[in-house]
Amino acid sequence: MIDFLTVVFLVYTFISLYFIIAYTLVYTFNKKRFFETPTSKNKLTLSIVVPCYNEQETIGNTIKTLLDLDYKHLQKIIVVDDCSTDNSFSIMKKYANQYRQVMVVQTPRNTGNAAGAKNYGVKFANTDLIGFTDADSFPKKDSVRKMVGFFDNPKIGAVTSSVLVKNRNKLIELFQAVEYKVIAFTRKLIGIVDAIYVTPGPLALYRKSAFDEVGGFDKNNWTEDIEITWAIVKAGYKVEMSLTSEVYTVAPDNWKQWFKQRLRWNVGGIQTLVKYKNQFLKKGMLGSFIIPFFLLTWCISLFGIAILIYRFVRTIIVRYLSTLYSIHAETAILRFSEINLTPNILVFFGGISLILSTIFTLFALYYVKEQDFKKYGFIPIVGFMFLYLLAYPFILIGSFYRYFKKTGKW
Amino acid sequence: MVKLGNPKNALWEALLITIVIFTLGLLFGIGYENNKVNQINEYYLNSEVSLMDSFSLSNIMDLNISDCSSLINNQMTFADKIYSESQILDNLESAGKITDNLQEIHTKYDALRTFLWISTIKTYNQCKGNFSVIVYLYNYNTNDLVEKAEQATWSRVLSDLKEAYGSKVILIPIAADSNLASLNSLVDNFNITSYPAVIINQKHVITKIPSVGDLEKYLN
Repeated sequence: MIDFLTVVFLVYTFISLYFIIAYTLVYTFNKKRFFETPTSKNKLTLSIVVPCYNEQETIGNTIKTLLDLDYKHLQKIIVVDDCSTDNSFSIMKKYANQYRQVMVVQTPRNTGNAAGAKNYGVKFANTDLIGFTDADSFPKKDSVRKMVGFFDNPKIGAVTSSVLVKNRNKLIELFQAVEYKVIAFTRKLIGIVDAIYVTPGPLALYRKSAFDEVGGFDKNNWTEDIEITWAIVKAGYKVEMSLTSEVYTVAPDNWKQWFKQRLRWNVGGIQTLVKYKNQFLKKGMLGSFIIPFFLLTWCISLFGIAILIYRFVRTIIVRYLSTLYSIHAETAILRFSEINLTPNILVFFGGISLILSTIFTLFALYYVKEQDFKKYGFIPIVGFMFLYLLAYPFILIGSFYRYFKKTGKW
Repeated sequence: MVKLGNPKNALWEALLITIVIFTLGLLFGIGYENNKVNQINEYYLNSEVSLMDSFSLSNIMDLNISDCSSLINNQMTFADKIYSESQILDNLESAGKITDNLQEIHTKYDALRTFLWISTIKTYNQCKGNFSVIVYLYNYNTNDLVEKAEQATWSRVLSDLKEAYGSKVILIPIAADSNLASLNSLVDNFNITSYPAVIINQKHVITKIPSVGDLEKYLN
């Protein structure tokens, strides 16, 4: 009989093979859609809301890049100060005094999250579309114009963009630069099958009527950008991804901040899943694909890491004991004959999966073009694939712990 | 906007393609493992012939036609042969993931090795101990980590001993949990309560891992 671990390995191989093949098919049959930038015929008006809390280092540049946007019907840039304690508010005021397009508002008291500030800013918007940019993000000049055209289709409720990393000096920043590009490419792929599950904060546009219909951002959710995407999909709208619309954001530059950010993302994901659990396997992409996809990813990560730890600990114990015994018996602690190089079917399947995943990563990096940056080099790509990704399951474990510690319920 | 067929079909198409590729991969794997089984089976048949030959030689001894040295040499060669085959078998077994044919062959080999052990007992008694017979009894199906570590160490110590003493030692590793009546009957004579255990020259039973130097004391 096949042993349990072999079955687990084969199941994992099957799933990874499935996604690689699905992505390949989606790409092959929809190549033309990847770089589409439909031109809007409807002259849709737009307001962009920028929530800001203590972002004095970046807020000025963010406003500047928004003023440089080449979308003609951008009416207002609403910068929301969420009662910053630094110099952010005076910087915003300076821009508001100088540019008619810039409107600065301040929340009556600190809302404690981006959702609160964003919802507050939307109250001052009365346009066809509503956009959001984080206060440390910098959309490219043509990014918004390339996104708006998608809204000519009345079924489109939201459009997201390619979020890329601005700071690329440290290794952790380079890992994220690689990661964000792969995510952008993957998001476009899943967008083609209407399965986008997040419209990230650095740059996203929403049809105002859809935004109002779902009641805006959920202030209780740690990732309001995931939650609103699910709400929009649930309401029957589609979400598009404009791969050529680039926005550069400041990524965490140390592991502690990075871990904190990822924990927040995952806890938000859990909150969203709990909120929409009744949609599981219901008709529509949310119930039939997005939620199962989310769950599958989590199960694979958690179960995979549990198996890996189990195997690792067992091997370490056996190695440790046999080394002790061998030293005591005055014999070699490892003999060449013990190294088994006989190939097996799992090596074959694992090798195929590894090769395909590498090709996918390299293809994504090649495909998502960036004009202003040098290439990463070999180390960040290899490090991303073999070290960085290994951290995902641990973050997930931490997130579940945080979630249950905070709420104490499912 | 570019109009194309329903892209969601790709998800189902991908599932079908994955099933086909995966099934082909599994079939390839089964074929590959069966090929290895055939290879080992050939070794086994060869070993069976050698054992019969050794057994016949032992019977000739009873007729006083042959001498001890040719019988010992014959058994030594045969033991070395199946010892090296057992290492190949071990490697193939740990590489065999989807078929369990190799486990059956392992049991067959254990039967063969038990037969060799019986044969060496006879030879040892007839030839007045010019050589040493070391029977290494271990558990094939164990999940106990301490036992696994002990067995790994025993293998190293016995390999060192065999390397040092070459043609003076017949080393016979047998899985004690093979459930062979002949083996169980033999082992019962030694009152062994835990594995791994080593029996040297039918006299000494050792269960604590010694050094090569310690084992040397028991050799002829």
